[in-house]
Amino acid sequence: MSQLIHEIKEAARDFLRDGEDRTVIGFEQGSLPLQSRPCFIRKENDLERLVWNGFCKNNLAGYLPKRKGKIAIVVKGCDSRALVELIKENQITRDQLVIIGVACNGMIDRNKIEADMDGESIVDVEEGEDVLTIKGTNSSKVFDRKEYLYDHCKVCTNPVPVIHDILLGQRDSNTPQAPVNDTFSDLEDFSALDGKERWKYFTEEMNKCIRCYACRNACPMCYCPECFVDASRPQWVGKSTDLSDTMIFHLMRAFHLAGRCVGCGACEQACPMGVDIRKLNRRLQKDVMDLFHYKAGCNLEEKTPLATFRTDDSDSFMVEP
Amino acid sequence: MNSENVKLLNKERLDDFLKVLFRDCIVFGPTRKGNMLLFDRIESIDDIVLGRGNTMNSVKDALFPQKENLFNYRHGDEGTEIQKPSAEEKGMVLFGVRPCDAQGLLLLDKVFGGGQKDPYYIDKRSKVAIIGIACENPDPACFCLALGGGPCSTKGSDLLLIDIGDKYLVKAGTPKGIAFFEEKVFEDADDEALAKASLVEKKAEESMNRAALGEAGIGEALEKRLEKLFDDPIWGEVTESCLGCGVCTYLCPTCHCFDILDETVKSTGERIRIWDSCQFPLFTRQASGFNPRPSSKERFRQRIMHKFCYLPKNENLPGCVGCGRCVTKCPVNLDIREVIKKISLREAT
Amino acid sequence: MENPYIPFFMRIEDIVLETEDRKIKTFILAFVNEEDEARFSYVPGQFSEVSVFGKGEAPFGMASTPTRPEHLEFSVSAIGVVTEALHNLNKGDVIGVRGPLGNGYPIEKFKGKNLLLIGGGFGFSTLRSLTNYILHDPNRADFNDLTIIYGARNPGLLLYKADLEVWKKRSDINLHLTVDKEADGWKGHVGLVPNIVRSVAPGAENTFVVICGPPVMMKFTLPVVKELGFSDENIIFSLEMRMKCGIGKCGRCNMGNKYICSDGPVFFQSELARLTGEAHF
Repeated sequence: MSQLIHEIKEAARDFLRDGEDRTVIGFEQGSLPLQSRPCFIRKENDLERLVWNGFCKNNLAGYLPKRKGKIAIVVKGCDSRALVELIKENQITRDQLVIIGVACNGMIDRNKIEADMDGESIVDVEEGEDVLTIKGTNSSKVFDRKEYLYDHCKVCTNPVPVIHDILLGQRDSNTPQAPVNDTFSDLEDFSALDGKERWKYFTEEMNKCIRCYACRNACPMCYCPECFVDASRPQWVGKSTDLSDTMIFHLMRAFHLAGRCVGCGACEQACPMGVDIRKLNRRLQKDVMDLFHYKAGCNLEEKTPLATFRTDDSDSFMVEP
Repeated sequence: MNSENVKLLNKERLDDFLKVLFRDCIVFGPTRKGNMLLFDRIESIDDIVLGRGNTMNSVKDALFPQKENLFNYRHGDEGTEIQKPSAEEKGMVLFGVRPCDAQGLLLLDKVFGGGQKDPYYIDKRSKVAIIGIACENPDPACFCLALGGGPCSTKGSDLLLIDIGDKYLVKAGTPKGIAFFEEKVFEDADDEALAKASLVEKKAEESMNRAALGEAGIGEALEKRLEKLFDDPIWGEVTESCLGCGVCTYLCPTCHCFDILDETVKSTGERIRIWDSCQFPLFTRQASGFNPRPSSKERFRQRIMHKFCYLPKNENLPGCVGCGRCVTKCPVNLDIREVIKKISLREAT
Repeated sequence: MENPYIPFFMRIEDIVLETEDRKIKTFILAFVNEEDEARFSYVPGQFSEVSVFGKGEAPFGMASTPTRPEHLEFSVSAIGVVTEALHNLNKGDVIGVRGPLGNGYPIEKFKGKNLLLIGGGFGFSTLRSLTNYILHDPNRADFNDLTIIYGARNPGLLLYKADLEVWKKRSDINLHLTVDKEADGWKGHVGLVPNIVRSVAPGAENTFVVICGPPVMMKFTLPVVKELGFSDENIIFSLEMRMKCGIGKCGRCNMGNKYICSDGPVFFQSELARLTGEAHF
C-alpha cells in the first residue's frame, strides 16, 4: 500500500512541476478513524498529505464540472466512468485533465462496521490486505474486508479505471469480482417481490429521507445550476418531507440520471439516514441496458442513449405498455 | 451534595419508571430503525435502545419538527378562513437525551423564546420533561467539554441518569426533575454511589479526544478572531471540498433556520414551516437574483460565524454544543473542530 | 400567547399602476376587522409581510403614512411567485397582512434637523411614507429643511407620480428627480443618483441623510455623502435581505449578529461599520 501511495504522490509531483496554476484533487487522511476525504493540492510541499486506502470512497469527479485550468485527479474505476460521462456532456475537457487511475479493491462501509461494534466507539483502525483490525473503546475486533465493502463495491464491474493517463495499483485477485457484463443479479430478489411489498419497502425508505440533498450534491452527474426541486415558477415538487414530495424527488432524480448513473454509490455514502437510494438507479441501469445495450461511462465514443435518437431505438413502451 | 437533588434508580426498576412516563405523556427516545439509531416517538418501552452512542438526529425534532403546520386556510364563497392548529394536550417526555442535546435546547429556548415568542415551540416546551443519559464512552468526534458542556453535565436536563453499574445515579437539574423523585422507584443515594458517578465522569472526560481542537479556546477570543478574519482567504481554503448539502445543519441540535410555504390542494391548504439550511444556495438569493452569499465559501463561513461569533454575542451562549454529528456525518469529513483550530492559529493578514 | 405567524385580513380597495411596463403596482388596502385597524400602529420605515394564501408571503415596506391610518399601501414589483400572484388580484380581493415589523426610521432623532432623503428605484417606498409623514400638518414644523433626491432608470419607472406633483408645488421641500438617461419631455436631472447627490445635495451640517435603494446604488452613494461631510452617525440606510418570518427566528436575514427584519431594516452607518458580515458595501 505504501508503495502505491508513493507512486500517487510522484505522479502528482510530476504534474505540478509540469506547469503553473495546477490543482491536484486527491484524498487525504480524515479527522476520524475509517475516514479519508477529498483534498485540493497546489504546492509540492502539500503532496505529503495524499493517501490511498480503503476509505477513499468519495467520487472526486464531482468537483470537475465547469472547473477551469489544468487538473490532476485521482480516480477509482467508478469515478473514471463518471469522468467519461462528464467529458461527453461537456462539463470538463479531456485535455484539462491528467487522470491518475488507481485500481480499486473496494471501499469499506463505515456504517456496516459501526453496526457490528456492539455499541463501542471506534478509536483506531489498522487496514491489512484482507482484514481490518478495529480498536474499540473496550476491545479489538477483526473484520473480513470483503464482507464489509459497500454494496455497490460488491457488484462493481469496473474496478480498474477505464480512462487514465497513469494507471497504478492492482486489483487484488482475492476480492470477488462481478462480471464486466453486469448481470444485475443483486436486483433479482427484490424484483421477484410482489408489487405491494416493493411499494412498502420504497415507502419505508422514503420516510427516512430528510431532504438534505447530500445524495444529489455528492453525485458527480448532478451538476445543474438550478435543480428541479428549487424551481418555483413553476414549482415541480414540494420542499417538505411530505412522503409524496420526497418520493417524487428521488424518482425524478433517478430518471434524470438514467443512462448517466455509473453506480459509484456516492449518493448512498453521503446519505446520513441510511436510505437505500441506489436501488432505483440500479434498476434504471438495468432498463437502459435492456433497452439500449448501454452501460454508462465505458468509453468516450459511445453516445449517451437518452440524448441521442436512433431509428432502431426500442419502442416497446409504445407497443407493449 | 444536596440529597434532595440526587437519588438512585436500580436498573431493574427502569421499566417501572418508564411506565410512569408512558402513562401520562407522549414519549420520545432513542430507537433503532434499520441500521440507524434515531430519536423518535416511542410507542412501546421495548423500542427504547440505550447504550449505543448518540442518535443520528438530534432531539430538536421533537420540539421543532422538520415539517410543522402553522395554520390551515380555506377559500370559500364568504372569503378566506384561517384555522389555527390546536395545541397538543398531552405532556411530552424526551428520554435518553445526551447532555449535548439537552444543552442545545437551552439555545433554542433563547431563539424561539426571545423577542416575539414562537408559540409552536414554546407551547411544546412548556409541557416537556427532559430525562438525560450521561455518556460513559464519548465518541472520538465529541467535543462538548470545549463548549461548556460535559459527558455528565446536567445543563438543560430535568433529570440525568448516570450508569454506575447495577444502578443509575439520578441527578435532578431543575425543580421539575426533583418533582419526579416523588415516584417510589427512586432510592436515596449514598456516598459510594456518588463516588462511583464521579469516577464515571472523570473517566469519560479524560477519554475525550482533545487533539482535534487542540488549544483553541471557544469564547470571546475566538469571536474577535473570527471578526478579524472575516475576509481572510483561509475561508476559501477550508471550504473547497464542501458539497453544500444540508447534513450538518439538519442533524445539528442548535440549527434553527426554517422556510415558510403555502401548500394548497384546490381550495384548502396549510401554511407550513420546514427546515431550511444556510448552506443551500437559494437561502439568501433575493428576488432580483442578487445573492450576498454566492458560493459555499460564504455560506460555510456564515455557519461558523453564526455559531461561534454572532449567537454568543447575542445570547451569551455558544451556538454549538460539541455533539460531533456534523463531524461524523459530513460526506467529505469537513471537520468543524479543525476549522476552528486553523482560525485560532491564523495570523490576520 | 399571541401568534406572530397568523396574518389578519385586508381588502384591496384600489390598485395603482405605477409604471409603464406594468410591473409595479401600489395596492391600497383596508382593514377587514375593526380590531385589527385599532391595533395596527406603525412608523415610516417599517414593513409588513403580505400573504396571498396558497402562494405564500413576501415582505414590503410600508408605502403609506401612519398619519392616514385607514389604509395601508404597499408597492409591489411582479418578480416572483407571491408578487405575480398579487398582481393578478383585483379590487375587492382579500389578502393577509402581518405587521408592523422592523424598527422604522428614528423620527424623534430627526426633529429639529435637516433631512436629505435619497431613494433609488423601488426603494423609494418607505421614503415616500416618511416624506408624507413629515409633510402632514402639524408635523412639518418639527423638522427643518427637507431635500429629496429620487432617481429611476427612466421617467416611466418613477413611482408615486401623483405625490411627486404635489411635492413639486410645495415650497417647504426641495425635490430633485433624476433619470439615468435623457428622455423625451424630461425636464429633471439626468444622471445616476450618486452623481446627482454630489452636485445638488445640501451641506451636512445638522442634517441626517437617509438612503434606500438597490445595493449598487447604496454602495456608490455612501462615499459621496461622506465626501459631503456626513459622519457615520448621521448616515442611515434601509437595508434589504431575503426574509421569511419577519420576527428574527428563521435565520434567513441574518447579517452579522443582527437580523434585518427585527434589528433593522433601518440601520445607522455607524452600526453597519462595526458589523461583521456581508454588511459592507
